[in-house]
Amino acid sequence: MTAAAVTSPPRRHRRLEAARDFAVRFSSRTDGVVGLAILLVFAILAIAPQLFVGPLETAVTATGSSLEAPSAAHLLGTDELGRDILNLTVHGARISMTIGFLATLITIALGAGIGIMSGYLGGKADALLMWLTDVFLVLPNFVLAIALAPILLDIIGAQAELFGIRATLLVIVVVIGVTSWATTARIIRSQVLSLKERMFVDRARVIGTGSGRIMRRHILPNVVNLIVAQSVLTFAYAVFTETSLSFIGLGDPFAPSWGEILAAAQSAGAPGLLAWWYIAAPAVSVVLVVVAFTLVGNALDDLLNPKSAVRR
Amino acid sequence: MSGRYLLQKLARAVLTIIVIVLLNFLLFRAMPGSPARIASHHPGVTQAAIDQLAARWGLDKPLIPDQLVAYVNATLTGDFGLSYQFRGEPVTEVIGDRFWPTMILIGLGELFAIIIGLALGAYAGWRRGSAVDRVGGGISLVLYSMPYFVIGMPLIIVFAAGLGWFPTSGMFDAGATYASGLDQLLDFAHHLVLPLTTVTLGLVGAYSILMRSAIMETRSEDYITTARAKGLTDGRVLRTHAFPNALLPMVTIIAIDLGYVVAGAITAEVVFNWPGIGTLTVDALQARDYPVLQGIFLLLSFTVVLANLVADLVYGFLDPRVRV
Amino acid sequence: MTVQDAATLRARRQWPMPKQAVPGAPLLEVEDLSVRFRMPGGPSVKAVDGVSFRLEDGEAMGLAGESGCGKTTTALSLVRLLPANGRISSGSVRLFGIDLVPKTERQMARYRWREISMVFQGAMNALNPVKRVGDQIAEPIEIRLGQPRGAAQKRAAELLDLVGIPEKRASAYPHELSGGMRQRAMIAMALACDPALVIGDEPTTALDVMVQAQILALLERLRRDLGLSLMLITHDLSVIAETCDRVMIMYAGRVAEEGPVRRLFSAPRHPYTAKLLSSFPNIRADRRTLDTIPGSPPDLRKPPPGCRFAPRCAHAMPVCTEEAPTEVRFADGVRVACHLFPPGAQGVVASGVAASGIGGGLVRAAALPSAGGRP
Repeated sequence: MTAAAVTSPPRRHRRLEAARDFAVRFSSRTDGVVGLAILLVFAILAIAPQLFVGPLETAVTATGSSLEAPSAAHLLGTDELGRDILNLTVHGARISMTIGFLATLITIALGAGIGIMSGYLGGKADALLMWLTDVFLVLPNFVLAIALAPILLDIIGAQAELFGIRATLLVIVVVIGVTSWATTARIIRSQVLSLKERMFVDRARVIGTGSGRIMRRHILPNVVNLIVAQSVLTFAYAVFTETSLSFIGLGDPFAPSWGEILAAAQSAGAPGLLAWWYIAAPAVSVVLVVVAFTLVGNALDDLLNPKSAVRR
Repeated sequence: MSGRYLLQKLARAVLTIIVIVLLNFLLFRAMPGSPARIASHHPGVTQAAIDQLAARWGLDKPLIPDQLVAYVNATLTGDFGLSYQFRGEPVTEVIGDRFWPTMILIGLGELFAIIIGLALGAYAGWRRGSAVDRVGGGISLVLYSMPYFVIGMPLIIVFAAGLGWFPTSGMFDAGATYASGLDQLLDFAHHLVLPLTTVTLGLVGAYSILMRSAIMETRSEDYITTARAKGLTDGRVLRTHAFPNALLPMVTIIAIDLGYVVAGAITAEVVFNWPGIGTLTVDALQARDYPVLQGIFLLLSFTVVLANLVADLVYGFLDPRVRV
Repeated sequence: MTVQDAATLRARRQWPMPKQAVPGAPLLEVEDLSVRFRMPGGPSVKAVDGVSFRLEDGEAMGLAGESGCGKTTTALSLVRLLPANGRISSGSVRLFGIDLVPKTERQMARYRWREISMVFQGAMNALNPVKRVGDQIAEPIEIRLGQPRGAAQKRAAELLDLVGIPEKRASAYPHELSGGMRQRAMIAMALACDPALVIGDEPTTALDVMVQAQILALLERLRRDLGLSLMLITHDLSVIAETCDRVMIMYAGRVAEEGPVRRLFSAPRHPYTAKLLSSFPNIRADRRTLDTIPGSPPDLRKPPPGCRFAPRCAHAMPVCTEEAPTEVRFADGVRVACHLFPPGAQGVVASGVAASGIGGGLVRAAALPSAGGRP
């Protein structure tokens, strides 16, 4: 039996205890718990939409007539093609949440990577990376995303697919990820700077550990908390941005996210026709999910971030 | 303000603009094939226009330095090329027509949102846990989580299509003739109400949330205890001691947020068919009118960088620790 | 320095006495003061527990103890500037005989700065960074005394002059002044309304030694010239020795010992006072002989029963961990709460054995280097 095997049960025990302790602290945050509950509901919808509303309706398989108001047959009414809004909205959860999730992965990977490198390496590398971060902080992300998206689409072609995800959606994912990492990089960097001052990094360096290893083994585990809190907040931003990008026409009509449904409502003239049901469900879904992520993110941030301060 | 501070901020702005220009060049040239070939796929672009395009950007010459030099040169002289869409009109003219409607919308929206948001946030943060804080906090969070068009669409349903108080779209009544300039202004204002409300509401949430936490941070500062020890009334401590200090981080935050405001305004304009940069962006996007898209990207980026520079100067003016 | 007659001092006031003042009452009389802090998700903490003391006109009293012993909380509760989760749970604070504890926030504001002003530690944070120093000094004169702006500005300049800052620096911002200058400006601000009592909360702690000496000399001069009453909170016993008439030693929210500075410092009776004195560096003493107090102050959420110092006390007896000691007063003006001095000694000139025997022994023991700091 190796030494690690001998010590592992108590360590796992300690981790379990820490996790339980954290769960207790989190459960005392009413806002965080409410947010988590909302997210669970949407997560379940996103995982298996067809279980609740059947397969995604298309113009061909539409079950209603054009712009029906809510009724027993169509609880949330129909769109101009006669598709059931409830059906679209539930399927939209899957698309919006998937895009949000993937975009968050890219954003956090970029932000954490740049933040850790910048904070740990210091000197010229830090100056250069932080300058780049500053530029990206100032750049209007959304406008950059708009300029970037059609070019990317033209390069890879709108019909292409990757891992079964259509190119249009991939482009949105990439564009959100590439344009919104700067805030995360800033926050992680400042945490790394204060970590660097602490003893254990010095000790690791004296022993002769390489920079990459120190960053992975000593710095990263200590900013994980911050990354988790930041990820949840980024998720909210990603869903928000996806909705806006889809709304102005960068979405995929064959994969209706909430933003795409709202864009369809806008071009069908739903607001002017007083077809409120066309807008209500997807709009409320977007707001609920963004509110929920923000609530959970803020609660996590308060609990996990050592210096939770003013920021967006 | 010290000269060094000023110089530092100016240098940063200039550097950022250089990056933006280079980025724009790269984006344009990153497209497969030359800009001329892309343009040739575009209906409404004539062979003459393509030839002109090739000559303008020096497309027969190497990418670096010739094309870059030509491009930077043109950009610096305010020549953003010709639109594919609008019968080859210069991009600057196409954008120029749409600039002021957007500026008015964003400018006024910012103004109202700053006044309302900062006041609400300051009060909520000062009276933490009070009814105003709880209710205002909830509303702020919901507004903060709403994309602008999600705010705008219900407004149209209720106040335009439903109650008929305001027009649903546009900036002026179609085909209207005006007896006087005042009439025209009134019509403009009538059309402005809902888009402006949308932009303001979209901003108020974020500002009040941020101001609340800024005030809460100053609340625990020693100089606030000093002010209270002086026997000043609570309101006076808030107004003359906490508020000016909490305002400092807000200046920077508001400036950085400008990028998001521009984004929000784009979607708000689409909802109300407001003839500004936002609707132009969507049109250009649909027509793949790259010169116009790039022009918009350049213009908005410049504006945001400039606004950040102004914010830095305002900050330097407000904070004596920067000013000398 | 002689304590001036209260009537003379009160006659020197520029502004009338508060209307409800009781004639002949002492300047400040605190009785059985207790302060509680609500703690998130736990029992409340009694940070100050049954503290009583009295301050006469023109007197300077030092308040000493380790950090967290309740000295700052005691001072802040006098003017009710406690943090939001703290409140006075019992006791009275009588200023000129007026009990301030039941006053409403609005009524309380009338006594702040006009009667009791404060000089905080680290004037960099205690001064508003975005307002000119002169304006900050003039603010209470204008707002609280109703003086016109011009007169207030002029008075502010005079006050700056009084504390040794050139009048033209009134237009400076706090960050433009040195640490010592900021502390002087803070003192000038504290004097703005001609208060009856100035509380200094670690006023010299953040300063270097030379500047500390200057500030102390300034306070000394102001006491002499203005007949200022002073309450000085510090963990620096040498500051108290130089500036104060009396000293109160606090431990874990309670008064351990209180009395005239000379008596208390030359013959400490409470073992904690003795330890505190011996753990403090003296300019003339060899630093190597410095003593430390083993252990740390108790967790006030679960205060030990009996005497709170008992767990760290070398002289602890069985009774110490069972019963809280009662205060006894000696003829030399010292009162002490320690089981070494049972209540029988009250009012009697300290018996030779109790005072010089044990007390002296403590002083001698403290002078020895402690082995590892363990009792």
